[in-house]
Amino acid sequence: MQAAPLHADEPAAAPVAVPADKPRMKLLVPVSPRRRVWLGVAFFAVFIAFWWAITASGWVPPHFLASPWKTLQSGYDLFATQNFIRDVGMTVWRVVGGFLIAAVIAVPLGIAMGAYKPVEAFFEPFVSFARYLPASAFIPLLILWVGIGEAQKLSVIFLGCFFQLTLMIAMIVAGTRRDLVEAAYTLGAKDRGVIRRVLLPGAAPEIAEALRQVLGLGWTYVIVAELIGASSGIGHMITDSQALMATENIIAGIVVIGLVGLCSDLLFKKANQRMFPWSLLR
Amino acid sequence: MSRLSIRQVGKTFPGNRGKAPTQALQPVSLDVADNDFITVLGPSGCGKSTLLRLVAGLETPSTGQILLDGEPIHGPGADRGVVFQSYTLFPWLTVQKNICFGLREKGMPAAQQKEISERFIAQVGLRGFEDHFPKQLSGGMQQRVAIARALANDPKILLLDEPFGALDNQTRVLMQELLLGIWESARKTVLFVTHDIDEAIFMANRVAVFSARPGRIKADVAVDLPHPRHYTIKTSPEFMGLKARLTEEIRAESIAAAAH
Repeated sequence: MQAAPLHADEPAAAPVAVPADKPRMKLLVPVSPRRRVWLGVAFFAVFIAFWWAITASGWVPPHFLASPWKTLQSGYDLFATQNFIRDVGMTVWRVVGGFLIAAVIAVPLGIAMGAYKPVEAFFEPFVSFARYLPASAFIPLLILWVGIGEAQKLSVIFLGCFFQLTLMIAMIVAGTRRDLVEAAYTLGAKDRGVIRRVLLPGAAPEIAEALRQVLGLGWTYVIVAELIGASSGIGHMITDSQALMATENIIAGIVVIGLVGLCSDLLFKKANQRMFPWSLLR
Repeated sequence: MSRLSIRQVGKTFPGNRGKAPTQALQPVSLDVADNDFITVLGPSGCGKSTLLRLVAGLETPSTGQILLDGEPIHGPGADRGVVFQSYTLFPWLTVQKNICFGLREKGMPAAQQKEISERFIAQVGLRGFEDHFPKQLSGGMQQRVAIARALANDPKILLLDEPFGALDNQTRVLMQELLLGIWESARKTVLFVTHDIDEAIFMANRVAVFSARPGRIKADVAVDLPHPRHYTIKTSPEFMGLKARLTEEIRAESIAAAAH
């Protein structure tokens, strides 16, 4: 006699719905893109509501802290009647200019330091030292050396970005997986080939990310540079407004800086995602 | 004439921070003939991978000499293809471009690169995956691409360092059959490092058994099983006899290694 397959005669049990349980593990669980946007916008709303509440309650005098509405009005006014877009343009130009000069030198230098240990031993101690020199402290010296023109603004941003960027790139390149480098050598690549076809493409997404972060650093330096001896730019508008006690203009200026920074950040992120789709795979 | 000649090759790594230097490999001699499939079998940490890295040119020997076709080797080169235990496909290149890496480095025309890569993609059974990135593949598939990438360069010898060590058992067995099939049809010269006794016997025509660290070759066992080999050979009396013998050899070394 043949053994019947187990439970062959029983009717197939209908799948029982498992009651929705509260997830027990909440750490590191990703959120959906929609929810992410929603949560991000929500905090802006909370922040503005808090700001509004402080000003509306009269707890802080209006000439110390302008209300959100007043800031928005003065922002509109700045663009509509005071040609503020020119100041924003000047500031963006300075940040991008100083940042690009820094990047053009820092990227190859950082790659050379990461790839060749003697080059690293030669430059690394000095660059690490220079990284801690506050760029803003050089402003009086730079005014002496190059005057108060554009060269001074660019120099401040350059000093602020260059050393930081060089070190970051050197570290990224030095962190390339050794086994990939070895694999390339065993496939017949020479030093130049390994740099061009392994170190560079492997480090590229992280270098792009370092550039994004350091560009943000450039924004903090440009305003400092413009606070002294500038006749245009967002920083210049802020110093002018300080003399007039126009806090709404100062805040509007700060908000514009934040928005421009946010946009450049987003652009950078999108560009990185497009250029290095492989780095997003898990 | 032997294709690869390892003559009294030893390796001692200098000690770090005043510690005593470590001898990884006692002077070892091994001759690999054309079309040989030699497996190097030994317990973990016995220096068998060091020997492979020396042949690959990724390390320089402290003593002795390594000759390939009578020429001493200097550093790594395309004449020795290497497949590593870790997954070493370039994550930014597709399967096809990974396989073409060495060909492009030689300056081969693109059309020829494509032709060769397509042949090897077919041989390792990855048609349809040409444009996938390594992270989209399973471990076994990645190692198949790594084998194809090494073979595409048409090396004089293929060096494999526990290439299937990280794979699950079923996949590993399939990979062994795949590699053996490639060897049976292409008759490459292969040096294959492993700690798996079945794997060592199944693919090899000679097994070099390593002692515990510092490594030396304590036995050189010929495997005269017929080709083509099918997985069922693993249950044959000849296979079992070899396995019993190698198990004894390795067991003594593993005990020695554990006592250190």
